[in-house]
Amino acid sequence: MDSVSIECRPGRVYGLLGLNGAGKTTLMRLLSTTLRPTSGTAQVGGFDILTEPEKVKEKIGFLSGDTGLYHRLTAEETVSYFGRLNGMERKALKERVDQMFDRFNMNDFRARRVGKLSTGMKQKISIARTFVNDPEVLILDEPTIGLDVVTSRGIIECIRESKQANKCILFSTHVMWEAQKLCDDIAIIHKGRILEVGTLEQLRAKTGLEDLDDIFVKIVGE
Amino acid sequence: MNFRKVKIIYSKEMLEMLRDRRTLISTILIPIILFPLLMFGMGAVVVTMMRKTEAEATRVALIGEEHAPSFLSALLTGDDFQRLEVEDFELALKEKEIHAALEFPSDFEERLALGENSEAVIYYDGAEIRSTIAKEKLTGELKDYQDSLVAKRLKEREVDESLLHPIHIKSENLAPEEKMQGFMMGMFLPYVIVILAMVGAMYPAIDLTAGEKERGTLETILVTPVSRLDISAGKFFAVLTASLITVILSTASMSLTASMGFARMGELGSQQVSFAIKPLSVILLLLLMLPLAALFSSALLSIALFAKSYKEAQSYVSPLMFVVILPAMVTLIPGIELNWGLAFVPIVNVSLAAREVLVGTFHWAQIGLIFVSTFIYASFSIFVTKRLFEKEDVLFRT
Repeated sequence: MDSVSIECRPGRVYGLLGLNGAGKTTLMRLLSTTLRPTSGTAQVGGFDILTEPEKVKEKIGFLSGDTGLYHRLTAEETVSYFGRLNGMERKALKERVDQMFDRFNMNDFRARRVGKLSTGMKQKISIARTFVNDPEVLILDEPTIGLDVVTSRGIIECIRESKQANKCILFSTHVMWEAQKLCDDIAIIHKGRILEVGTLEQLRAKTGLEDLDDIFVKIVGE
Repeated sequence: MNFRKVKIIYSKEMLEMLRDRRTLISTILIPIILFPLLMFGMGAVVVTMMRKTEAEATRVALIGEEHAPSFLSALLTGDDFQRLEVEDFELALKEKEIHAALEFPSDFEERLALGENSEAVIYYDGAEIRSTIAKEKLTGELKDYQDSLVAKRLKEREVDESLLHPIHIKSENLAPEEKMQGFMMGMFLPYVIVILAMVGAMYPAIDLTAGEKERGTLETILVTPVSRLDISAGKFFAVLTASLITVILSTASMSLTASMGFARMGELGSQQVSFAIKPLSVILLLLLMLPLAALFSSALLSIALFAKSYKEAQSYVSPLMFVVILPAMVTLIPGIELNWGLAFVPIVNVSLAAREVLVGTFHWAQIGLIFVSTFIYASFSIFVTKRLFEKEDVLFRT
């Protein structure tokens, strides 16, 4: 990463667009405090990622293609485990888990081991895991990658609801139509640098192009 | 350190361990069945072979048989020896047709009858165990015959036979029974237990680090509000638990097996040995194993955390087995005794102290020193593990 500066606000979806290896995952790992920056810092949910990483992690829900699940735990054990690690009390956690299993239609495989479930079911568990403590900030790194249409739509739906619930959402993808449909702000990231930031309208005005595909290629190609 | 979170992580790791077949086999099954298998399986084979050898007649070819009629009539009365007619005794020995050949000179009994000396030659194959046993048996028979001749000659000269044995040599074993058993147990038990403490920790350590990397679950836990210290502590205690379970199970299994096994050895005609190690010895043994198991657990975690995959971790850890086996082998060497210098050498110190403790010898100062020094090594190793959990290039090594 090379001196990147971004600002995401509550109630908005901030999209990070970039090719593979552009630095999307690295930026998200930095913000989620799993990586430490060599210089500079950031504030997430009002806490500094360098000085108060534990507080930052309490505020965020992080989901990426690299966040796997424990195959030997059941769906319910998995979600509860992450709730407890987030410091939730037993009773509140139980209610929250019930609510989410209903919400995502996961009661059929509630007591089954994760290792025996399909990709779609696992992704639902991952989402439940991410949302279990009702985080203020969502950092979602290509959450729909490799998923079928139905599961992807479910996730997009979730992001919309979170936006309405005034959450701050940072969302990376290389699926342009997802970004076009969802994002309030779009940042185009390339080789570790942000080349352009703005709303879709602003980007359209700047490039004179209509489709985000074309806009992206034009900016990155320059 | 947040103990509540350490406990949450620990419980979850234990739950996963109990659901992992590989861990169950190495941590619980192997320590339980290894000793009965060794003792009764191998023991039974050895006993059967020995009985078979004893029951079978020794096949002998006789050369100049007509020159030793009185000796041979005594030799061939029982079922112990079987006479075989062969053309070429060297060839017959080579082909294992006979176990040994016995040659008498033409004037063998003639000269003995005259009160002179004679000789007999035993041909055998030193590289064949049955042949060596045949030689021993024949030698014994010849000596008995010789003794009877000596007794006869002395009687003729009216000399008392006891003149030949002015000193009557007696030996009495003053070792208390528990020391005898401890001595036998002390040779093998520390050696096997030290190795099993390692084996028991091995798979859990790999599974909780490299295994998590491979399955992508390490990153999931890193984004939860749990410090790296708490994560490494939870994992460390889980691996330590596995190691200690292995130690306790193997100690129990070996003690039980041994008590039954010695009873069986008694049947074989050797001295009857009952088995009772002092409870204090067992407690001290387990106490000494505690810091060593901690050292193994953290060392294994550190090494396996560095690996990218389960397989890679296994190839790092396997050579480490030799690093443990070699120093643990000191207990098998009779000459090496625990001293102040060796009390500082990791693995060697605990192995030697365990041997002494099982014999019922308690050098408290040295035991204390070993406990403390091993504890310090373990602490250092735990510190390294914790540091590695904070290193991004180790955690995200791809």
